[in-house]
Amino acid sequence: MDIVSHSIRERTIAENSLVILLQGLHGQMTTVDLRDESTARGRIINVDAFMNIRLEKVLYRDRLGFMSSMDDLFITGRNVRYVHIPDHMNIIETIETQLAKIHCVRNFGARKEYSKNK
Amino acid sequence: MEEGERESESERRSAPSQTSDQQTTTETSRQTPETEEDDVETKLDISSDKFDPLLALYSPQVPLPFPNIRCFNNIAEYESFMKGGRGRAKPENVEKRLRKAQKGKADPERIERLKRLMVNNPVEEEGEGSGVKRQPRRRKAAKNVLTRMPLHTGSPLGELNRCVQEKIRVKVHIRTFKGLRGVCSGFVVAFDKFWNLLFEKLKVQESVALSAVENQKSELHSSSSRLTNQTRRTDPRHTQERSEHSEKDKTTLKAAQQFKTKPKVEYGRVHTRHVNQLFIRGENILLVNLQLE
Repeated sequence: MDIVSHSIRERTIAENSLVILLQGLHGQMTTVDLRDESTARGRIINVDAFMNIRLEKVLYRDRLGFMSSMDDLFITGRNVRYVHIPDHMNIIETIETQLAKIHCVRNFGARKEYSKNK
Repeated sequence: MEEGERESESERRSAPSQTSDQQTTTETSRQTPETEEDDVETKLDISSDKFDPLLALYSPQVPLPFPNIRCFNNIAEYESFMKGGRGRAKPENVEKRLRKAQKGKADPERIERLKRLMVNNPVEEEGEGSGVKRQPRRRKAAKNVLTRMPLHTGSPLGELNRCVQEKIRVKVHIRTFKGLRGVCSGFVVAFDKFWNLLFEKLKVQESVALSAVENQKSELHSSSSRLTNQTRRTDPRHTQERSEHSEKDKTTLKAAQQFKTKPKVEYGRVHTRHVNQLFIRGENILLVNLQLE
């Protein structure tokens, strides 16, 4: 599971948008409401800069109300309408944690003697 | 013959400078003994006109003009060094590299220096909530989603920022493919340039479309048959009638016109729910309304 994307482009896109909050939700059980009125409740494996979401152990309810369960679900970013954020998560803190991770990765090659990761 | 020449040379000169090259020995053999020494020296002297590179390559002791200079493995290396490369030609970097060469031992002096630069950083970062991140090293101000929020003053996004700062309750109209789906009312915690919104204490009122009569006939057929099974929604019979009616409309149309049929959407009752924290993707937002009280 990648904490931070390997691509600089994706990192920059994520850094300057709210996708970074969704990236901080790795491993959380959430509900994603899709554009076509269906919902998927599962554990977030990965969210990329374009808001493409991968979920596992998903309880998918299609727009007609029919439930089905899936091991793995990939949702294209454009099809997302809502993402429910678990109540226990502090939004600003999560964003800042994720931004800090990006900074760590960015400064990786500079000075190895003094490690930033305490 | 070579051996003999070599021996005679070593007799005369204090520093033995033996040439193993046949060519050079034959050359020197032609010269007079007095000038031989000087000749060899001038030949080994890089700055002289009579510099003989072959002699220099094979002689064990060549007087170098700058003995403590940096050695390169090939000309390309020299070229890149001269171009500056990663600033290697500068004297301060030479020292830096010397230090790096002793990388194994953690240089405490250096670590202390770095610590002094960094010591305030973690405390500051925690203290400032969604404010600007100050960098201890000379770097331009961090630009991330949180710092970009206050940058939009004067524009509608700046107004949204005001809502974030002053915790004004905001009403957001959510769109469906054509028209309004519902209204969400809550406090905006964060936003970005795509109008993705992060909401807190949200009350969602939306009406869900029952049947979207759009393109495929088959889809409508299956959906209308399923409609009768749904008891949760309002008046399945009523909607079924209407959808059947619209289905008839469809069947009269030619197959080629299938994709151009007028979409008829039946809407159900308005559902209200409360969500503590919600993320809304920007493209679904119709409009944002400030609820000033």
